[in-house]
Amino acid sequence: MDEKKEKKVAVWICKGCEIGEALDIEAIEKVVISECKVELCRRHSFLCGDEGVELIQKDVQEGVNTLVIAACSPRCNADTFTFDGCFTDRVNLREHVVWSHSPNDEDTQMLAEDYLRIGIARAKRTDIPEPVLEEVDKTILVVGGGQSGMTAALEATCAGSDVVLVEKEAQLGGWLKNFSRLFPKKPPYRDPEPVDLESRIKEIEENDKITVYLGAAIAKISGQPGQFDVSIKSNGSAIDFRVGAIVQATGWKPYDASKLGHLGYGSQNVITNVQMEEFLASGKINRPSDNKPAKRIAFVQCAGSRDQEHLPYCSAVCCRVTLKQAMLARELDGETQAYVLYKDIRTPGQYEDFYRRAQEDSEIFFTKGEVISVEETTGSNLIVNMEDTLIDKQIQVEADLVVLATGMVPIAADGEAIRQYQDAQAVIETGEEGAQLEAAKETVEKLKDHEGTDILHLTYRQGPDMPALKYGFPDSHFICFPYETRRTGIYAAGCVRAPNDMDACREDAQGATLKAIQCLDLASRGATVHPRWEDMTCPDFLLHRCTQCKRCTEECPFGSLDEDEKATPMPNPTRCRRCGICMGACPERIVSFNDYSVEIVGQMIKSIEVPDEFEEKPRLLGLLCENDAYPALDTAGLKRLQHSAFIRFIPIRCLGSVNIVWVADALSKGYDGILMVGCKSGDDYQCHFIRGSELMGTRGENIREKLKQLALEEERVRVEEISISEYGKLVEIINEFAEQIDEVGLNPFKD
Amino acid sequence: MPDSYLVKPDGEFLHSILDEGGEDLKKCFQCATCSVVCELSTGRKPFPRKEMIWAQWGLKDKLMADPDVWQCYQCNDCSTQCPRGARPGDVLAALRKQSVQHYAVPQFLSSWVNNTKRFPLMLLVPVVLLAVALGLRGPVEKLLSFGEPHGFYAGFFPHWLIIGFYSFFTGLVTLVAAAGVLRFWQAMKAADESSGTYAPKLGIVSSVINTLKSIFVHDKFGKCTDNASRRLSHLFAFYGFTALFVVTAWAAFDLHVMPFLGIDSFYPFGLLHPIKILANAGCVVLIYGCVKALSDRKNREAESGAGISFDMIFLWLLLIVAVTGLCTEILRFIADPGEHSAGAGGPQYAAFGVYFIHLVFVFGLLVYLPYSKFSHIVYRTTALVYAEHSGRNEVEKT
Repeated sequence: MDEKKEKKVAVWICKGCEIGEALDIEAIEKVVISECKVELCRRHSFLCGDEGVELIQKDVQEGVNTLVIAACSPRCNADTFTFDGCFTDRVNLREHVVWSHSPNDEDTQMLAEDYLRIGIARAKRTDIPEPVLEEVDKTILVVGGGQSGMTAALEATCAGSDVVLVEKEAQLGGWLKNFSRLFPKKPPYRDPEPVDLESRIKEIEENDKITVYLGAAIAKISGQPGQFDVSIKSNGSAIDFRVGAIVQATGWKPYDASKLGHLGYGSQNVITNVQMEEFLASGKINRPSDNKPAKRIAFVQCAGSRDQEHLPYCSAVCCRVTLKQAMLARELDGETQAYVLYKDIRTPGQYEDFYRRAQEDSEIFFTKGEVISVEETTGSNLIVNMEDTLIDKQIQVEADLVVLATGMVPIAADGEAIRQYQDAQAVIETGEEGAQLEAAKETVEKLKDHEGTDILHLTYRQGPDMPALKYGFPDSHFICFPYETRRTGIYAAGCVRAPNDMDACREDAQGATLKAIQCLDLASRGATVHPRWEDMTCPDFLLHRCTQCKRCTEECPFGSLDEDEKATPMPNPTRCRRCGICMGACPERIVSFNDYSVEIVGQMIKSIEVPDEFEEKPRLLGLLCENDAYPALDTAGLKRLQHSAFIRFIPIRCLGSVNIVWVADALSKGYDGILMVGCKSGDDYQCHFIRGSELMGTRGENIREKLKQLALEEERVRVEEISISEYGKLVEIINEFAEQIDEVGLNPFKD
Repeated sequence: MPDSYLVKPDGEFLHSILDEGGEDLKKCFQCATCSVVCELSTGRKPFPRKEMIWAQWGLKDKLMADPDVWQCYQCNDCSTQCPRGARPGDVLAALRKQSVQHYAVPQFLSSWVNNTKRFPLMLLVPVVLLAVALGLRGPVEKLLSFGEPHGFYAGFFPHWLIIGFYSFFTGLVTLVAAAGVLRFWQAMKAADESSGTYAPKLGIVSSVINTLKSIFVHDKFGKCTDNASRRLSHLFAFYGFTALFVVTAWAAFDLHVMPFLGIDSFYPFGLLHPIKILANAGCVVLIYGCVKALSDRKNREAESGAGISFDMIFLWLLLIVAVTGLCTEILRFIADPGEHSAGAGGPQYAAFGVYFIHLVFVFGLLVYLPYSKFSHIVYRTTALVYAEHSGRNEVEKT
């Protein structure tokens, strides 16, 4: 920063949106000029209007390269106040001051002045980031040649990308090869549709931009988005190439029916829905035991699904598969009766009419209930026992053939679990006795199913595959962050991400492919992806001060840091999402962004005036996550909800980026309490960086220790999690915290 | 599994429901909206939800032993609110037809009586029987030396013949209906016993009294909302028919019992005689009830149900009996203006012709009762009495 051109700062204060009426602007200007030593301080009654913007522009032309705009929230008018070659800091006088506090009040005035001190402190130490530009290959690797993979490949070429498609089998198509007909994809959504696989395979083969490797497996992938070096083995020969991004469309396998003995699996005449597809394709539905036509077919829904003992989730397709199979079975033989025994018929999407169509058939019978068991009786006939049905408390249904509607299991590998397993194995191999060995043995036992499940074979420090979320699917929080995974540049599509039907797989593949394309575009400009979209900053590691504690490499939610032999972090800029969790983790404080560092935030904290103990005006520090908490406070301002004027908020990138030293700084400066607010953690996390809030939870222990050292009360530091819509709750939390600190009393460390 | 019900779909039964009034049955997806909106449905297993799934699976044994099928008045609150268009009200109407057929002896008669094409042939039976009776009139009169008949129509069909003829068949029919009712009662009881829920709450006599009280005011009917007008039609038809039944019985009593008791017969009644007034009023009220019911079926199909032949044959029959009865009366005034001056001529033949038709249709109505919708007066009453007796309606819907 220092060698760059000299900083020339200008502060602009907007008087619009009630700011001018509620605050003494002249007093603020005095603080800016005489206390903060900023020469240029101007005001305007309508800064975001054409005239205001022109005036700022004039300053910029005259050499101002750092602007502090004291007006509305940074979430408003972001483009208006962005000027080429100029760093802009925004001081939120509108939502966080005048809209949420009494006008022309001493405390409100002090609040506004402090926010200017904080803003100027930041602006003085920050500059426009220099993007880290890397060479970016824009080829997309698609892993898996089923419905999703084929769609991803074709869609990517439509957008101009080159594609490498690898498929483990000798032929493209995946499950499409096995199904005789599919769910209807267009109105009126009534009758099963034929499969057209040949033309799609032909389309892929004829496409110059797609290279297909069949009978292929991935041996190794190293590098980062834009620079993935891939080694595969295809039909025995090794092939190496470079790609930019990866779409993992490895699909699904049916749940292991051999675990469903209680549903009769093992009897000859009990088959799965996948086997039923084979029967339907053959055109004959005969009982395996005696090869006689099966006239009474019972479909047992949720066979092993929505069952804590087996698959706890709903696979979303099995109901429609059964409806389809019942229709097709009836089509093959009009005398067949189909009994559908379900927990709930679920037909997501446009498929209610598909269900209606099946209901119209008088020989398809439905009842809800719990299937308890399937028994074999004389002549290999079967009896299905059900409970809690609508027909009677307990019923028995006789059938010639029972079809178990089994669910989908993703063909995914849990990279983190594999790594843990390997680490534990390594501990065991050293042979050293002790508690560590016992723990390692336990880990190996627990995770032994993960051995050799690697798919992508990434050379990432955190494991060779994407981490799994719920139920083993490498999904993200799909509602909040669709298609985002925890490995930048690698996107899951189709049934590996979530159970899907063919049409949803197509759509999923389109979404994931688009994400891959966007990632490469951003990477080529040195910018990051969601949620710090277009952010050009990049963490700097002062590696000569690194103590190889591995906290950053272990805690990075995106696995962006690898390690050398000595465990020194090796950054991969295009994997990085700029959350700052490494910065929060580092005990040596060697990680910094040029606009966000331990030093800068520390200076912001220290920049304000903390009133002495005789003034009886407490000062509280609020660290607000800018993803959900900061916008929530904006909304609270918009709704004119009043919060305590004693708290000073500083936006942070993520709760996980909070370095404990800030807490120590604030307490020794004389702040009476510290409130940190982030996004929700847990299974249905809303943390935009996945683990930030969770990590703050574990770091809380260190904070409590720090407080103990200083002989301060635990209540002085509080961590809260809210969602973006909980603005009312946020205001309650703030005010309640202020009251609590009032009760605890002032910080004895005031000057 | 012990106590497990073996589900055996009866395809023939299922198809007869689908073909005869319950064509939307299979659309039901068991959401229970019907049971929730029904003002009459009570109990732990409220209708018509369970009837819908039993019918979907063709479970004849369960449905034939189910009193709830008869607790429904087809007000169609359920049908108009069914999100799936499964029309539970119409399905239950179809089930009542199945029930009547099931308990009828012999069963084939029921399928003939309720078939629009075959029913006219069924009317040939009374034509032949009445003709035979007329043929026997002379010899019998001679044999038993009956006196001169008094009354205009008695010249054609003497009272002793009419009363003897219909008493015989009504007695026969009563036996058939009683057999059906008894089997129905036993089936309901057996079903409750097998599920362990048979625990009578009220004696039979009290149950009958409660049921009759309820029928006289049509209070349950009054809870229907979407098709409230049906209650009115039914009240008219019910009281119209009851009035006619009473006056007919009184006439028979007057003619044949009172003289035995030494009381002078009032017969024939003058136009202003209370019995005559009741008769004429009853006839008009009955006609109004029938016409209103028929027009509702036609004009308010969604609420009333389109009506299957089972319903329509009965309604038309009732209307024709009432109209021909009225015509018979009117034609008598035309053909026989003076007292006891029966003279041969055109009007007289017309009057006798209409009277004959009337008698044929009365036969169709009364004698075919156990086979037609008319039997609802016995089956519904039985089901209602059973419901009172077993206390099945006491548990409120939850």
